[in-house]
Parts: sequence; C-alpha cells; structure tokens
Amino acid sequence: MTFLHPLALLGLAAAAIPALLHLLERRVPPEAEFPPIRYLTEAERQNARRLKLRHLLLLLLRTALIGLIVLAAARPLVPARGGVGGGGGGGAHEPTALAVIFDNSPSSGVLVDGRPTLDRLRAAARGSIARAGAADRVWLMLGDGVLRGGSREALLATVDSAVPTSQRLDLTAAVERATRLVDAEPLPSREVHVVSDLQRTAFGQGRADAARGVRVLALAPPPRAPSNRGIGTVRVADGAVAITVTGTPGASPAPVTVRLRGRDAGRALAAPGASVSIPLPTVTPGWWVGEAVLDPDELRADDRRALVWRVAPPARVRAEPGAGSFVNAALAVLAEGKRVADGTDVSIGERLQASPGKSVVLPPTDPALVGQANRALAARAVRWRFAAPGTPGPLSSASFPGIGGIPVARRYRLEPRLGDGGQTGRTGADSTVLATVNGEPWLLQDGDVILLGSRLDTAWTALPAAPAFVPFVDAVVNRLPRGEGGAPVTEVEGAPRVAFQTRGADTVGATVYGLDPRESDLTAAADDLVRRAIGAEPLDDARFAAQRFAGARRADASGLLLVLGLLVAAVELGVATLTP
Amino acid sequence: MTDAQRLDLLNPADVARLGGIEIVAQGVVEGFLAGIHRSPFRGFSVEFTEHRAYQPGDEPRYLDWKILARSDRLFVKQFEEETNLRAMILVDASRSMAWRGAPARLTKRAYADRLVAALALILLRQRDATGLITFDEAVREVIPARVRRGQWTRLVRGLLDTPDGLGTAAQAALLHLTSLLARRGLVVFVSDLLFDRGLALTALRYLRHRGHQVIVVHLMDPAEAELSGPPEVRFRDPESAASVVVRPRELARAYAGTVQREISAWRTACRRHGIAYHHVLTEMPFGTALRLLA
Repeated sequence: MTFLHPLALLGLAAAAIPALLHLLERRVPPEAEFPPIRYLTEAERQNARRLKLRHLLLLLLRTALIGLIVLAAARPLVPARGGVGGGGGGGAHEPTALAVIFDNSPSSGVLVDGRPTLDRLRAAARGSIARAGAADRVWLMLGDGVLRGGSREALLATVDSAVPTSQRLDLTAAVERATRLVDAEPLPSREVHVVSDLQRTAFGQGRADAARGVRVLALAPPPRAPSNRGIGTVRVADGAVAITVTGTPGASPAPVTVRLRGRDAGRALAAPGASVSIPLPTVTPGWWVGEAVLDPDELRADDRRALVWRVAPPARVRAEPGAGSFVNAALAVLAEGKRVADGTDVSIGERLQASPGKSVVLPPTDPALVGQANRALAARAVRWRFAAPGTPGPLSSASFPGIGGIPVARRYRLEPRLGDGGQTGRTGADSTVLATVNGEPWLLQDGDVILLGSRLDTAWTALPAAPAFVPFVDAVVNRLPRGEGGAPVTEVEGAPRVAFQTRGADTVGATVYGLDPRESDLTAAADDLVRRAIGAEPLDDARFAAQRFAGARRADASGLLLVLGLLVAAVELGVATLTP
Repeated sequence: MTDAQRLDLLNPADVARLGGIEIVAQGVVEGFLAGIHRSPFRGFSVEFTEHRAYQPGDEPRYLDWKILARSDRLFVKQFEEETNLRAMILVDASRSMAWRGAPARLTKRAYADRLVAALALILLRQRDATGLITFDEAVREVIPARVRRGQWTRLVRGLLDTPDGLGTAAQAALLHLTSLLARRGLVVFVSDLLFDRGLALTALRYLRHRGHQVIVVHLMDPAEAELSGPPEVRFRDPESAASVVVRPRELARAYAGTVQREISAWRTACRRHGIAYHHVLTEMPFGTALRLLA
C-alpha cells in the first residue's frame, strides 16, 4: 500500500491524544454537596466494570477515529481489482514516471471521416497527461523527437497548441529513448504512452530496447487509413524534372502538375511508387523555383513540393571532326534550344584538345589510333586510358537515369594508367565514374576530361537512337564539364521552403526543404510489427484510456476510510450518549 | 374554597413563601379538611364497643337513655378505653435534611417542618394528644404528647427551635426515642432515611413490638431520585468527609435503579414488620402527602 500524501501520516501521532488526555488529565471537577452519596457509591460499585469497559471502548473508538481520519488524509492506495475497461481508468495510481509520445508528424494532419487525426491523438495525449497526479513525473515528446518535461499544465498547453509538424518521427527510436528516460526515474511505476497514427513507415529498423518494467501503451491507428498520394522526390536534370510519387501502395494514379511562377509547366499521371519525367520549358539562365503539385486529398501536407534548379548560360561547344553525325545532330538541337553555342569552351571528339579546356573524348574509330589517344590523355595528366575492347552490355548510371539499360555493342574498357593507383570503380580526387557497362567504367570524368568507352554512334551503342540521347549530350557537354549538375541543390527534411546559399554576391547553392516521403504512406502498421518494434499492443481509444496507469492503478481507500470513520464516530456518539 | 385556592394542593415551595410555619400549616389543614368528608384518622375518639343488659351496681350514667325511651329496657354502653389517641411525631433534624436539590425547592427539613405542623394541627383538632421529638446524633427536642390548648404552638416552636443538625441520625438517638415512648400510640417517623437501614429498622421494630402504630415518611428531594449535574462533579456527603467523583450522565440510570431498589427495600421491610411506609418527594403538595398518611 502506498500513499499519495505520505506526510499526512505524521498526523497519526494525533491518535495518541485521547490516551494522553485520559492519562494526563488533571482537571479538578466542581464540588457539590449530595447527601445520598451512599446510593452513588452503591451505583458506582455495581457498575464499575461496565463503566471501565465503556471508557476503554470510548478510548479505542476515539483513537480509531483519529487514525482513520489521518489515514484518509494520507490518501492510501490499495491494489484495485478489475480496473481494465472500467470507464476510462478512474481512480488513483502509484507515482509513475510517464513519457507521452505525441506523434504530430505530417501524417497526423490527415482527415479521417472529416476529422483530423491530430484531434484524436491530441485527446488521447491530453487524457494521459491529465490523469497524471502530483506525485507523477511526466515528459512529452512531439514529432520533433525532443523529450520535454514540465508541469502538467504546461505540457497540456503544449499538447493543445501542437499542430502537424514537418518532421517524421521514428517511433522505434522514440520509444527506446522514452523508455530509457522513464526507467531512470526512481518511481514505483513507469509507462510510455505512444499516441500516434502508427504508420507502417514510422517504425525504423530493429526494435526498441524497452527496459523491463516499463509499460508501453500504443493507441491503435484508425480502423481505415485513407488512400493517399504525395510528391516524394523532385529532381531537375537534363531539362526535365523527375518526380517520384509516394503514398499508399495500390492507390490510383493522380495527375502531377509542375508549376513555374504560378503557371502550369507540365503535367503527367503517376501512381504511388512511380516516377515521371516532365520536360521543363526553356528558360533563361539563372536560379529557378517551381513546384510539383498533386490534386488535394486527405493529407494536404505532401501534395506539393518545391523544385529548384539552376540554368547555366549555354556552353560554347566545338565538335571535332571525329565526333560523328549523331553528336553533331544533337548539338544542333541543343544549339537551337540555346543550350549550347558555338565556341571553344568544350570540345567533343576523338582527339583531345591540346589547349587547356574541357574535353569530351570519344574512342577513335581506328583501333590503331588508340595508342595515340592514350598518349594524348597522358600528356593531359589524365589518369585513365582506353584499354582492350570490352564485352557488350547494358548501360547503368546513377547520374543519368535516362540512359539506364540502353545496350552497348562496342566499347573500350576504360582503365587507370598503371602507376597512378587508379582502379576501376574507384575515383581519385577529381575522378568520377558516371556510367558503367557490365560493372566496368564506360563514362568517367577526370579533371577537365570526360572519357567515353564507346563512340556515340549506333554501331557502338543504341544510345544515339534513344530519347535520352539529346539530354545526355547536353549533360556531357554542358552540365558535367561546368559542374552545373553538381551539388548546388540539396534536399532536407523540414517545413516546405527553399533556402539559397550565397557566397559574396553569387548564389552558389540552394536547399529545398520538404517532408519525408515516407510520411505519405498512411498504411497502418500491423499489430505484429508494433509488438515487435516497440513491444506494445495497439489499443483502441477505450482500452487505451482504461489501461493508462493500469500497472500502477490503485484504488483510493480514503473514501472507505472516511465511511469507516463516520461509522466509528456514530458508534462513539452512541456509546458516549448512552447512559449505562 | 376552590381547588385553585387550596394551599394543600399547591407547590410546597410556593406555599412556604406565604408565611411562617403556623400560617402555612393552618392554610394547608383548612384546605385539606375542606376536601374530605370525614376525618381520615378514625378511632381517635372514645370507642363504643357494645351494649349489655343493665345489672344492679352499674353506673347509671352509662345507661343508654335512648334505648330506654324507645324500648323501655335498660342497657348500659360499654367502651374500650375512654381516652384520645397519643401521637408522637419524630422528625429527623440531621444535616442531610437541610439539603435541597434546587433553590426553588424546600429543603427536606423545611418540608418536614411544615408537613409535621399540619399533621399535628389535624391531630390536635381531633383532640388527639400529639407530641414531637426532633433528633440528629442525639435527641434535640422533646415535647410530650398533650391535647391541651397551646400544644400546637409548642409543637411549632419545638420545630423552629431545633436547628439543622450538624451530624447524622444515629442509632443511639433512635434507641433513646423508643425509651421515650412508653405508652402505646401512633408514631410518625419523618426522615430522609440516609442511615443504616438495618439499625433503623431495629428501632422501628421495637416500637412496633411495643404496640405502637408506626408510620415512616421517607422524604426525598427529587434531585436525590434522579442524578443530574455537570459532566463531571465531585459529590461530597454533608454529614461525612466522604466524596466521590462521578459523571452524572453515565451513572444516572444506575443511580436511579439503586434509589428505586432502596425504596423498594424500605417498603418491603416496613410491610414485613407492619409498618406503614410512604415515600414523599419534597415537590409533592402537602395535601397529597397528608392524604398518604390518612
């Protein structure tokens, strides 16, 4: 048995008052003449035993009365029976260390049956905090993952003012941190209440290492999660924007619109899990900000995402005689689109530009000229060279998704020059493998030189016949040599916005803030996953409310003690007033 | 005289405020006698027993002339004794008699004085010789039984001259009383009986054995019948140093039971020995008390 107000037990000393008064009473009674004192003596003699018993009974009753009142004031807690499902878990409980994880991640803003999920979560979180007593210690974790302590009123105010945040909360990690915290608290009981929509994607890898003795309660997700689509990733490359749509698997396709300066720049249909590429209009050089937008659905937060890209001034390109007709045709197209201009900044062909400048080197048509080409590369301190012909195979490139899978029939293997320490698949300080065939480098950049393993001719590869050829050439002659597609634009989780980095008067990069794409998948985690990840059984609202503090639930016996006290007082009154 | 004006039926304390003992006693007796049709004390006059035929030598004054006139035959009247009743009233003047439970009431002694004065007046009006003895530890006042003029005044004076005793009624005094009552008669014993019942009964039995008609009037203040008072009080016996601390409320029922048992014991003991016993509370109207004695 524990007490809510143990200090009140000091009042038990008052139970000795009746006995002390009885023992220390020094009151001198008034004196009066009374002739028939012999009758008195006789009556007292005959009733002495009864009177003694009565006095003893009164002493015991008064002592018990004070003891009962003091015990009631101390609010004793006794183990309660049958508390589960009993009307919201009323009653008192042992002092408890409680951490409430109030998951107001972006997905909490979804509307279910016209009501924001956040409201349901808020009510549950409020219930947990409101039921905490003065002897409890309570922490609150929001979607930002920060455990904040404070008074019950302050935490309730925090819960009331919470809105869907832009940060994803990893529930597995959150529960682990919360359990560690409450486990360190020297209180008889410890609980972690997980108030979340329990998205499947909210659980990280592994399982929370919950300390023994810490009860983890999880509010069950709504019985029906709405189907949702969201803009997952947006990347601008090669004059087009690649948009990945995320959301509930199996959801129907939805139109994705790209907007620039308030105008629709393109539109495509995509289902969750699919990517679409929407060509961007030709725009003047500079930094451009747009957005990819989905039609509104139940979760509005993920229906749009910003896109930023930089349009560099057109590169001045000169095609060497051996560049081939496909390259020339592509350059003509690019020149028409003002992506390139005629000049000497970048040369493309089978001969390396002698003067310092950026060169795109194709293998020579005549195998006898390979040695000459390699010597020229060595003269430019290029650490790669053309080696023996390689086996045919499909292209693979992370930098150029559009060329993936395109077959390559002829190629030279690109090998590092001996003595330079370069190895296939590995890069030097400024050497990058951009595409491979059969795992061997096919396209790489080493300093100012971009080396291709095949000529851009349909006799060597099907790439010139593919739609991705022109963007590929644009990237090879325009973006790669000048670092346009480098890393000036980064994506960070956060409230949707765009922030530019500047150096002096120049804008050198941009950061696009957006939601974690995993928030778009509103599919609820299966009970097994919840049990495995955080060791909790998902409970519906009623059971969740009933189970709060159930491990520490104690019935407040003060009411019973007060009733007993009243009974004792009534008996005392009866005995005291009853004339023997 | 209406009941509302009859002093014998009024509250004794109220009646006592009307004047001295003589006035109160006379008023009570007037009212008392007006309320009855005959004397309650039968046989207080010369007792006629029977007629018998006249025989030579009989006193001619005892001839019943009425029978002679009606039947022309000579009969003489015979009498048991040609004397009035001798009544002796014994009044306890011990210190306990000077107590009252409330200022609005008479002390037992004051009540006894007035009751005795009224009783004596009734007896003397019937030409019964009436005497008085007051006593506490010793016999204080003795007024022999007489029927002569001024006897009542002497009796009242005797009551007034007897102060409230300092001690208690003792067996010695009771035994002395018995020796003073040589001739048979009526003995009225007025006391609060706060002494040893066995010893008192011994004396009273002796009187009864001597042929006296004995009436015991047990006076008691209502506060003595039912215990009351502050939550806790030390009661002290005025006749001794004895004292006891009691809580009247918790002892009241037991005390009342004890008093009732004591009264019952007195009544039973007196009945067993042919003694009339009357329990009189000092709030009882004098007329009611006198009727008890009738």
